[in-house]
Amino acid sequence: MKKKLTIILSFIIILAVLLAGCAAMMTKPTARNFQAPIVTLDSMEVEHFWGWWYYSNKVKPTMGKAGNYGAPLDLAFIFNVENPNPFPVELESLKFTVAFEEFDLNTVSSIETQWIPPGKTNQIRVHAMFDGRQSLLSLLVTGGFKLKEKTGAAGAGAALKQLGKWWKAAPEYGFPIYVKEGAAVFKADSLVKVAMFSATFP
Amino acid sequence: MKPKKIWLKTILYAGIIMLMIGLAIPTGAATIKIGSLNDMTGATSDVGKDFALGIAEAIHYINDTGGINGKKIKLYQFDYGYRIPEALTKYSLFKRLKCAAILGWGTGDTEALAPTVARDKIPYVSASYSGHLCNPEKTPYNLFFSTDYSTQARGLITAWYDKKWPNKPDYGKRKPRIALCYMFASPYSSSSIKAAKDHAKMLGFEMGPQQDVSLFAIDTKSQILALKEFKPDVLLLTNTVMSVAAVLRDAYALGLKTDKLLLNWGFDENLPKLAGKAAEGVIGCAPWAFFGQNVPLMDKVVEYAKKYNPGIPLEKRTIHTVQGWANALGLAEALRRADKAGDLSGEGILKYGFETMRDYDFGLGVAPATFTATDHRSQSEARIYEYKNGKFTLLDSIDLKKRWPEKWANEWLGW
Repeated sequence: MKKKLTIILSFIIILAVLLAGCAAMMTKPTARNFQAPIVTLDSMEVEHFWGWWYYSNKVKPTMGKAGNYGAPLDLAFIFNVENPNPFPVELESLKFTVAFEEFDLNTVSSIETQWIPPGKTNQIRVHAMFDGRQSLLSLLVTGGFKLKEKTGAAGAGAALKQLGKWWKAAPEYGFPIYVKEGAAVFKADSLVKVAMFSATFP
Repeated sequence: MKPKKIWLKTILYAGIIMLMIGLAIPTGAATIKIGSLNDMTGATSDVGKDFALGIAEAIHYINDTGGINGKKIKLYQFDYGYRIPEALTKYSLFKRLKCAAILGWGTGDTEALAPTVARDKIPYVSASYSGHLCNPEKTPYNLFFSTDYSTQARGLITAWYDKKWPNKPDYGKRKPRIALCYMFASPYSSSSIKAAKDHAKMLGFEMGPQQDVSLFAIDTKSQILALKEFKPDVLLLTNTVMSVAAVLRDAYALGLKTDKLLLNWGFDENLPKLAGKAAEGVIGCAPWAFFGQNVPLMDKVVEYAKKYNPGIPLEKRTIHTVQGWANALGLAEALRRADKAGDLSGEGILKYGFETMRDYDFGLGVAPATFTATDHRSQSEARIYEYKNGKFTLLDSIDLKKRWPEKWANEWLGW
């Protein structure tokens, strides 16, 4: 009888200690206490660089098909993601638009999830690939009027000239690059918070 | 029993119970994977970005409201920059991920992938609304929730003929004159031209010289001067917004007095910003409501735009967000029906999902959708709006199927 009582008592004590420990460790997220994490741009890097060039489909390639090809430019944006909550939060997705001066050229997103421990700051690196040809089309179709206002010239020649200026100046951070309309979606249990962010580099 | 053994047993039992508690916690509901190809970088990024945002926001809404009969959608959304090789690469990724269906984008990716999706039997719901994607004999897995371009062109010409032509001073004295402006080399711009010419001929129009206007054009004075000689009563423009704005501006500046008809990609909230006064009075086809208009479910579109993209002012959101919602909601309904029938294969989604829809109405100002095994023109109704006094106002709604049932059934499918 004494043995049985000892078993039951010790079992209850262990369970109580375990449950109490869990409860103490974890504050439950609620709509009231869930604060949007803070996303800030830590730095921007020219991750890979090929210089500036553009070939039209009139140029015969050594191998492969002729086509319209522009130099790629690979930029990496490193963000700090700070969790001010006393519970872990999950970064579900993050997206933002990149503008070279006043021209929106790319909207980038990251759908890889990560957990941020309570009170800690994680970092996330997001690549933005700019392709000379696509950027040219973007400038021509969507930014034609704006380009004319800025440079006084229009058409493919003016757009290529502008792209060349940006590509060559990028390694020296020679013009402002804007991170705009940033939105990062965070989850804690079934609750959702969206953090806005924007930045200019340099 | 020795005290040591008692303790060991106690720890063991406690461990088993904790494990059972752990196993009892749900580990996450089943998901359905959906791929999404979007252009947020390239030639169509001005409209593609807003469409892509609409897709992602709509998927959040679908998941928040029960998903696909309890199953959540996992969205894999990628920017392909309107590069066809990249679209093909991402398609391979979607296949490897076992995506049940794909939300596609423009003419480039849709046409490049049409034979592949037919072979692989993967439903491809895109924003390329070309009439030649509507014949299931040729492109069985290409679908969309919009009035196709050919039906848009026919609806626009009919609405102008019914509503505007009778008010012109020359009405009854001569044939109405129409001219077409578009980029000849663009598959999108030229996709509805054959139907437009056919329709104009059927209604007794005199057809003027066609004008080749690039999608990149910001100066169209030579084309406008050529048109001035023909003196058209109405112009049909099938390019995208910037080039349409260039034509409107030059026509206004050079005094070409003619009505202008626009397909959906040339007719959005950015047009008045680019064309200014010259946009006044233009008539366009909008198969969905404009962003923020008072139609069923628009409150949710606005709510989710605010919630998930708070950094983008609502004034910058456009009809393309609503377009994204339409394709996502339409696909979700097809998935629900197929899931209920117990067949979420591509063939099941087509047969038990899309092709069971009869006048399916999900709001957003979209005409009710019907798909059959022999006809994938989801809408026979063209909703025609006029931009007047700073507002898009519904001018007319032309149901081509009701008005010309014989031609609709026997002549117009697939072009």
